[in-house]
Amino acid sequence: MTLNRRSFLQASSVAVGLAAAEAAFVRIAYAQGAAGTLRVAIAKPAGNLDPQSHYAIWAIQDLMFEPLVKYGKGGQIEPCLATDWKIEDGGKTLQLTLRQGVTFQDGTAFDATSCKWNLARWMGKDQYSWMNCSKYFESLDVVDDYHITLRFKEAPLALMQELSYTRPVRFLSPKSVGADGKFIEPVGTGPWQQVSADDTQSVFERYNGYWGDKPSYERLEAKVISDPRSRVAALRAGEIDLIGGFWVAALTPEEAKQLETAGFNVAIDPGNVSLVMAFNPDRADALKDQQVRKAISIGIDRAAISQALYLGYAKPAGNLFSSALPYAGKQHDAPVLDVAAASALLEKAGWTGSPIRSKDGKPLTLEMVVSPEAIPGSRVIAEVIQSEMKEIGIDLVIRTVDHASKHTDMLEKKYDLGFFLTYGAPYDPFGSVVQLCLSTFKNDVEGKLVTDAANLDPLINAATAATGDQIEPTIQKVYDWLYDNDAIAPLVYVPTIWAHSKRVQGFTSPVTEYDMPYEKIVLAD
Amino acid sequence: MIHFISKRLKHSLALLLLASVVCFTLVVSAPGNVAVLIAELRGAVAVPGYVAQVEEEIGLNKPLLMRYVDWLGDAARGDFGISYRTGQAVSADLPHRMMVTGTLIAGSAVIATLLSLLLGFLGAFWPYKLPDRVSRGLALIGASTPTFFVGALMIYGFSVTFQLFPSFGFNGPVSWVLPWLTVAVLPAAVLSRVVRVGLEEAMTSPYVLTAKSKGLGRTAILFREALPNITPVFINALGTQVGLMTATGIIVEPLFAWQGVGDYFLAGVRFRDFMVVQACLLIFLTFFIVVNLIVDLAVLMTDPRIRRQWS
Repeated sequence: MTLNRRSFLQASSVAVGLAAAEAAFVRIAYAQGAAGTLRVAIAKPAGNLDPQSHYAIWAIQDLMFEPLVKYGKGGQIEPCLATDWKIEDGGKTLQLTLRQGVTFQDGTAFDATSCKWNLARWMGKDQYSWMNCSKYFESLDVVDDYHITLRFKEAPLALMQELSYTRPVRFLSPKSVGADGKFIEPVGTGPWQQVSADDTQSVFERYNGYWGDKPSYERLEAKVISDPRSRVAALRAGEIDLIGGFWVAALTPEEAKQLETAGFNVAIDPGNVSLVMAFNPDRADALKDQQVRKAISIGIDRAAISQALYLGYAKPAGNLFSSALPYAGKQHDAPVLDVAAASALLEKAGWTGSPIRSKDGKPLTLEMVVSPEAIPGSRVIAEVIQSEMKEIGIDLVIRTVDHASKHTDMLEKKYDLGFFLTYGAPYDPFGSVVQLCLSTFKNDVEGKLVTDAANLDPLINAATAATGDQIEPTIQKVYDWLYDNDAIAPLVYVPTIWAHSKRVQGFTSPVTEYDMPYEKIVLAD
Repeated sequence: MIHFISKRLKHSLALLLLASVVCFTLVVSAPGNVAVLIAELRGAVAVPGYVAQVEEEIGLNKPLLMRYVDWLGDAARGDFGISYRTGQAVSADLPHRMMVTGTLIAGSAVIATLLSLLLGFLGAFWPYKLPDRVSRGLALIGASTPTFFVGALMIYGFSVTFQLFPSFGFNGPVSWVLPWLTVAVLPAAVLSRVVRVGLEEAMTSPYVLTAKSKGLGRTAILFREALPNITPVFINALGTQVGLMTATGIIVEPLFAWQGVGDYFLAGVRFRDFMVVQACLLIFLTFFIVVNLIVDLAVLMTDPRIRRQWS
C-alpha cells in the first residue's frame, strides 16, 4: 500500500466536497420548510397542555386556549370569549355575555354549557384557592345559551384580572377529555391547533375556523433548544425566527446586544417585573434600624446595576411596581447613589470606623444570598453592590446557592439581604403584595419580601377588601408604608427582551411574560 | 473464558448495587427541597400548604431506607418512577433518549477511531517530519480545547458562518455531523498519541528487525506487524474514551438540542429530579461496566498472552 501526499489530499477533497454538497441540499430543504412557518425557540418541551395542569409553558398554552377576557396594555381588561360583563351586588355577582359563533378546534360549539363545564373543573376547588374567584365561589347559573351568572360568597379581589390568567381559567373542549374526565388532547378555541408534540418540538397549524383575526401565516413550530447559546446560534444560522421571553426562552441583554450588532431585530420593553432587594432584620440586628436600611438603599448605584447586568436596558426602580401595571401607585424617582449621605446615616446610627464600620465592637457584616439559576445575573448584581457597600463601610459577604437551596434559604430566612422578583402582569399588583408581603398568607415557595403583622398587614387587608374607587387610595397606603420605612430596596424594572430575524415583521412585545407574541407578526417569505 | 465472563458479571452486579447506594446518598444529601421547586413549577403563585401536599405525593415524607428500597425494587422491574419535573414516566422517556445518546457515542467513537488512526499513522509514516509535527500539533490542540468551546466553534463555523450543517436538532445524518465531531475531537487527540507512540515502540521491537531483514517495506511492517501489536493497548484506551464520552454528552447534547440521556440527566440534576437522576446514573454506570466488559473480552481475543493466562 502506498499513501502519498497527493492521494491523501485528493481523497480528503472528495470527502469534503461530498459532505458540502449534501449539506447544501439540506439547506435548500430547510429554506423550503420555513416558508409560511414561524419558528420559535422554547427552552424546554411544551409539556402537558391541559389548562388545569401546571406543567406546560404558559406561552404555548396561550396559542391554543383563550380566556373570557384578555389582559391588555396597562392592565386594561379586554373582551375575548366574553363580549360583555357586569359586576353587581358589591362585586359578589358577575354576569357574563359569551361570544357567539365560536367553535373549539374539534367543531364543538363554545356556549354556556361548555363554559360551565370548564369553570366547574376548577372553580371552588381547594387546589385553586389561591385564586380569589375560586376561593369565594358560590354558584354558577346558566341563563341561556350565551349568558351565565357567577355568584361569590365575598367580592373577589381583581376578579376580571384573574379571569385573564393562562391557567387554570382558559377553555378546553369538553370532548378533549376521556370518560373519567382526564385530559387527553389539547383542543381550545384559539388561533392555533396542535399537530404534533414531542420532546424536540411542538407543531401548530392555523385554525381556520377561528372567530378573530387569523394569523397571516399557516404554521408555527416551537423548537426545543435548552442551551441559551445554541438558541442564539440557531437564530443567527437562520434555523429559527424568534427567541426571547422570560418563561419561553430567556435572552440576556448581552446576547440581545450581540444579535443587534449582527443585524437582527431586538425588541426591548420596560417590562412589568421588578427586581427588589429584601432586608431581613430578624437575622441581622443592624437592619432593624431604618437608617441602616436607607443607607444601604442610597449606597446602591442602580444605574450601574442597569448598566452592568442589563447594558442600560433596565430602568432603575424607585417603587415596588412600574407604572406599566394598574394600581402601581405614585411613582417615586429611583434613589440616586449618595455615598456621603449613606455614610452620614450610618454614623448617625452609631456604626463608625474604617474600613469596615462597627458598633459595640461588632463589625457591620451582612450576608447576601444569591442564586444565578433562579435570578439570572444576580451574582453580578451582588458583586456590584458588594463593592458599593465597601465604600460606605459595610462588609458584604455573598453566598451563592443553587435554585433549590435558594428557595429553602428564603423560606427559612437564612439571609440578611436577598433578591426577589415580583410576579408581573397579570398577577400584580395584588399577587406580589399579598403573597410576598402579607404575613398571614402562607407562601411556601418564595418566602417573604417583607412582613409586619402590626403595621403592614392591616394596610394590605384594607387594600384587598376595597372596591371601585377605593382600591387606588388604599393600596397607595401600602406603597407609602414601604417607602416611608425603607422596608425594601427596589433595584430595577426587569426588561422584556425578544429578538427576531428579518423575515419576522410587525413584531410587538407581549403584554405579559406569559403570552406568545404571535399576533401581529407577518412573515416576509 | 466462561469463567472469566461469569466472574466479571458478578463483580459488575456488586458494583452496580454499591454505586446505586452512593448515588442515592449523594442525591438525597444535596441541599434544597424538590417539593418547593415542584410547587413553584406548577404555578406562578403559591398555594398555602401545597409544599407539604407535594412532599406526601412524591413520598418525601417516608424514611430514607424505605425510599431507597422502593426505588430499587421498582427499578429492577424497569419502572424508574415518575419525573417530578414533567409528571411523565421516566421509563417512557428513556428508550428514545438512549437511542439518541447511543447514536452520539457510536458515531463519535467511529470518528475518533478513524481520526486517531489517520493521525497516528501519518506520524508513524513520516516520523519527526512535517506530517508528524502537524498530527502532534492537532492532537495537542484537540486534547487541550474544552468540549463546549469546540462545540461553540463548530456551530459558529459550520452553522452560523457557512450554514453547512444545522446548529441543532436530531434530524438525520447531516444533523449528526457536528455533535459527532465535537465529541470525537478530544478522544481522537488522545488516541492518536496512543497509536503514534505505540507504533514507534513497536517499530523498535526485535520482530520488526526480523521483518526488515526479510525485506518487508515500512508500510507492510506498520500494518502487518506493528498494528496487531498495538491493538490491545488501543482497545483499552478506546474503551476509556468511550466511557468518558457519556460525560462529554452531558455538555454536548444540550448544546445541539439533542434530547439524550445526558440532557435528561442535566435537567434532572438542576431540578433535583431524583427519579431522573437515579435512572440516568444507573444507565451511565451500566454503560461503563458493559463497555469495560466488552473491552476486556476484545483484549482477550486480540492478545494471545492474556488468552493463555485465562485458559
